[in-house]
Amino acid sequence: MRKSPFNTILSGLLIAVMTVWLAVPFGMALLWSLVDPSQAWSYPDILPPKLSFERWSLMWDSTSLPIAMFNSYSLAPMAGVGAVLLAMPTAYAFGRLEFKGKAVWQTLVLVPLIMPGFVTAIFFASLLFSMGFFARYPAILVGHVVMLLPYAVRILSVSFSLVRQDVVNAARDLGASPISVFRVAYLPVLKPGIFAAFLIVFILSIEEFALAFVVGSPDFTTIPTILYSYLGYNFIRPNAAVVALILVVPNVILMLILERLLQSANPAGISGKG
Amino acid sequence: MARLVAEDIAVRFGTFEALRGVDLTAESGSFVTLLGPSGCGKTTLLNVIAGFLQPSRGRLAVDGKDITALPPEARDSAMCFQSYALFPHLSVADNIAFGPRQKRVARDETVRRVDGLVRQLGLVDHAGKLPNALSGGQQQRVALARALAVAPGLVLFDEPLSNLDAKLRDQVRNEIRALQRDVGFTAIYVTHDQAEALALSDMVCLMNKGVIEQKGAPRDIYFRPRTRFVADFIGAANLHRGKLCGGAMSTPLGVLHCCHEDGEDVEICWRPEAARLGGDLSGTVKAVAFQGAHVDVFVSAGPETVRLQVPGELNVSIGDTLQFSVPPEGVIALEASANA
Repeated sequence: MRKSPFNTILSGLLIAVMTVWLAVPFGMALLWSLVDPSQAWSYPDILPPKLSFERWSLMWDSTSLPIAMFNSYSLAPMAGVGAVLLAMPTAYAFGRLEFKGKAVWQTLVLVPLIMPGFVTAIFFASLLFSMGFFARYPAILVGHVVMLLPYAVRILSVSFSLVRQDVVNAARDLGASPISVFRVAYLPVLKPGIFAAFLIVFILSIEEFALAFVVGSPDFTTIPTILYSYLGYNFIRPNAAVVALILVVPNVILMLILERLLQSANPAGISGKG
Repeated sequence: MARLVAEDIAVRFGTFEALRGVDLTAESGSFVTLLGPSGCGKTTLLNVIAGFLQPSRGRLAVDGKDITALPPEARDSAMCFQSYALFPHLSVADNIAFGPRQKRVARDETVRRVDGLVRQLGLVDHAGKLPNALSGGQQQRVALARALAVAPGLVLFDEPLSNLDAKLRDQVRNEIRALQRDVGFTAIYVTHDQAEALALSDMVCLMNKGVIEQKGAPRDIYFRPRTRFVADFIGAANLHRGKLCGGAMSTPLGVLHCCHEDGEDVEICWRPEAARLGGDLSGTVKAVAFQGAHVDVFVSAGPETVRLQVPGELNVSIGDTLQFSVPPEGVIALEASANA
């Protein structure tokens, strides 16, 4: 089928917007991160006069970036897994059960999202201190899981509601154990939701600043706390560009992997319709 | 094979009584249909038998063993769902093998059953496909094969043919009945289609508003309906109400004779095909519908219109006066319905 001109214009427009929105900032960050410390990039140069990886090695050697990377890259997947697992029971209830006050509960679960991160962070930190809990790493992990739980609950509720009761019944009717019922009737439908919830929590955790900063201060670093240290008073754009790229790379890789996994999931297998 | 006994089954959803004390016995190897209009409780009863719903009262037993409290996975029944409810991510063969695998049937026995059913139901070319690649009729066959693969004593059908077109429906219906005779399972079959129920069953249970209004062999139900609801639901029926005196009731069409004791307020009915041409009943032809083998003639006199089925050769036209009679053995007196 030939595309109509209207479609062509629309897709052209979309590509243009995406370029301006994604490619330009990304390209700029890349260029800025490659600016050599010896020669500044200033007006009217269109491109940096000299490109080098000097900034990258500088950042790697002189800051706590390696530790921060370890912290961020290990916190994010654990927060993702934790949030998905903890969200399951609530999402099951919202997606599959009818109970009194369901709408109210659904709204209440989302309320943490309107709370500014710093407010949560400050009081979460003081709660931890008054409990005598000083281990930063687990504290931030718990904090991230709790803060990002609403996203996982929301996404998984929808997934649970898509599970067909007749398929669940059919599985039970044929003698399936609860685990088998979950595997055959729930999991194929939940899979995209689990991936999506994991991805959202992962990305939000990796770029979360407020809680990591307040609970982790003064010396526990994650990639965003380093990034923020290059903004503000001691603003060094090329250094910030390096950290920003380090922040975004795992997100992009993860996105591509999950995209692959989701494509292999048969869409008809989820909806039951051809 | 299994003999199912349900005693006094009641189900309540909030204040709504979906079932109000149903008794049902399905003999081993018999084909029982639950027939009724939507909302009569037939699917609810099926779900109680399958174990998806706990009755609020009553008792279920299979071969004398009480199964009321057993969960569906522990029962010796398998259901064929209206929506098929196939596992969309599993191939046809894996769908069929699912039940035996769950019940820990030996591997070679599972393979043997799957092969046998695939061949029996004409799915050989489709065994490796996903359910979505199949037509409705084929999916229905997979659902049937999947249910039969666990070798259940009791197979439950929830309007299995309602999503198929008329021709396919006849074909699959015959296949189901042939399989049932072959394999010998006891079948409980829910439908709202009276023709399907009459054609398939050893026993028809006609349900209305949460109770079984009448149960019996298809012929019994058709020729000896007990209540107005049954007469009206199964086939077409001409109903008259009035005083029966000396085995005769006078109607606007003339006097109808009936072998029944007299009463002040009796309801009688007769089937359209019971009418014979010529006689002392008469009326004006209001409408004619030629059906090939027979003609449906609607005859009215006064406020009443009745339907007659006469041989196809008869040439009647609207406005004619038609003389006919109904033999007394074709006229059935009805009881007042318990829950009209």
